[in-house]
Amino acid sequence: MKLAVMSCIHGNYEALNAVLSDIDAQRADQIYCLGDLVGYGPYPNAVVELVRSLDIPTCQGCWDEDIVEGLNACDCSYPSQLAEKRGHLAHEWTNRAIHPEVREYLASLPMTLRQDNLCFVHGSPNSQHEYLLPTMDGFAALERVLAAEADVLFCGHTHVPYVRDLENGTLSVKVQQLGKSETHREFTAPLKRIINAGSVGEPRHGRPNATYVLYDTDSTQVTLREVPYDYEKTCAAIIEQGLPPIFAWRLARGMEFAERAEDAGHVCER
Amino acid sequence: MPHLIAISGPSGSGKTTWISEFLKDQSIPQFYVCPGLGEISVDLARIGYQFPWVQVVTEAQLKAALTDLPEQAMVYFEWGFHLDLGSPFLAGLGCERVAVLPPDLTESDWHTWADRIVVGNAVAAPANGRLPEIWCTPLTGQVFDPPSLDALLIELTGGAYGQACRMKGIFEMPNGCAFHVDFVEGLPGMEYTELNIPPWLNGRPRRFSGIEVVGWGLEREAIAQTLLDGCLSDVALAQYQQHYQTLDPVEEALFV
Repeated sequence: MKLAVMSCIHGNYEALNAVLSDIDAQRADQIYCLGDLVGYGPYPNAVVELVRSLDIPTCQGCWDEDIVEGLNACDCSYPSQLAEKRGHLAHEWTNRAIHPEVREYLASLPMTLRQDNLCFVHGSPNSQHEYLLPTMDGFAALERVLAAEADVLFCGHTHVPYVRDLENGTLSVKVQQLGKSETHREFTAPLKRIINAGSVGEPRHGRPNATYVLYDTDSTQVTLREVPYDYEKTCAAIIEQGLPPIFAWRLARGMEFAERAEDAGHVCER
Repeated sequence: MPHLIAISGPSGSGKTTWISEFLKDQSIPQFYVCPGLGEISVDLARIGYQFPWVQVVTEAQLKAALTDLPEQAMVYFEWGFHLDLGSPFLAGLGCERVAVLPPDLTESDWHTWADRIVVGNAVAAPANGRLPEIWCTPLTGQVFDPPSLDALLIELTGGAYGQACRMKGIFEMPNGCAFHVDFVEGLPGMEYTELNIPPWLNGRPRRFSGIEVVGWGLEREAIAQTLLDGCLSDVALAQYQQHYQTLDPVEEALFV
């Protein structure tokens, strides 16, 4: 079975259309979406309506959550004061633009989706706001996949696609409790895999092209797809809709609107 | 007799760098003049910070300074690209004229004006009749959130707010240090130099900081707003300063 997994569309309708056409051409059997349908981009309602109309199983992203719950990220989620101000502007704009039924749909999205030994999340199994970066400590990365009780964990949120294999390894755990002798356990984890789908609507790989992944459940083969689209149309719409023009400038260069925080593993205690 | 030298050339050709080589000499009285931008001159401030023994002369002080020059004095006039080479003021000074020019520029007004040509940076010379505009603003008292400043400078020099061919600025940081930042289109990277001045950790710095941008179609309001968005509030600044005041030098070195 051929799966197409996409993430982080961010209200970029042009990019979504291009990716859906590419998925169609690649003859995928099933599409999954890892959330962040809205935020920053000029067409949040149209993107949600299209994803809904195609019945694409979708989990909730951090932006989807923030639109439902109100701004939920603390200031440490942003890499800079400037990015935070821009993030707030984008949030306010999206919050005004979004239709009630779209908000309801976003509220109904699950945190996690599953298919057999595959798990789909936005950030990590712990939180939509946590970044699973390719450079993350191997033990921590393995812990996240084990926590999801899956062999393959699909995530997004970083806006840069990657595949990371966590080879068979022996984990050694020592537990020291007060008044008790130290216990020592060892166990072996089989091969696990993290697949990041990148971003459809707000890439951060230095080019404006949309990215998503194809996964063959029989051969376990992963294909990272990079899809060109008419990004200038989206840039023009950003400006027409009254979003900050700097969003268009950054989109055209494959620079995410608000880059991730330096401490990407940080999860806010909200 | 005092020796007066006027230095001109395109933006980014290396005029200040050339002058700075001579200002290192502390054995003679040295003067530096950079007319054209009034008190808001990054170069004026930078030279003052970098060479405290050099007498930095503002436009308001110029007349008085010129009438009372020491016998051994060396006076450097940095004559910006936007100033008229045929200025009666300049002609009346009777100074030596040096043009710092890109290697590829073989014919220009600077060539006919100068007594001496110095080969400078390989910057693009302005096309005839299309001189870039200059936008500058003081930032005195403002302290920047460092990653915000980084993002802003990348955007500014990358063309997000018009085509910037030159940017220089002095920016205050939350740890009390100030940096001189220099960008010339066509040269690799951006140069950050920490200024050798005492850290300012007690309220808003009362010393010059500011920015100059040279280019075409500069979106001044957007640049100004983005600069302000990257500046720290009173509360944030107070928190930073309290933190840095309590750090000992070893911790600070590790923290930075």
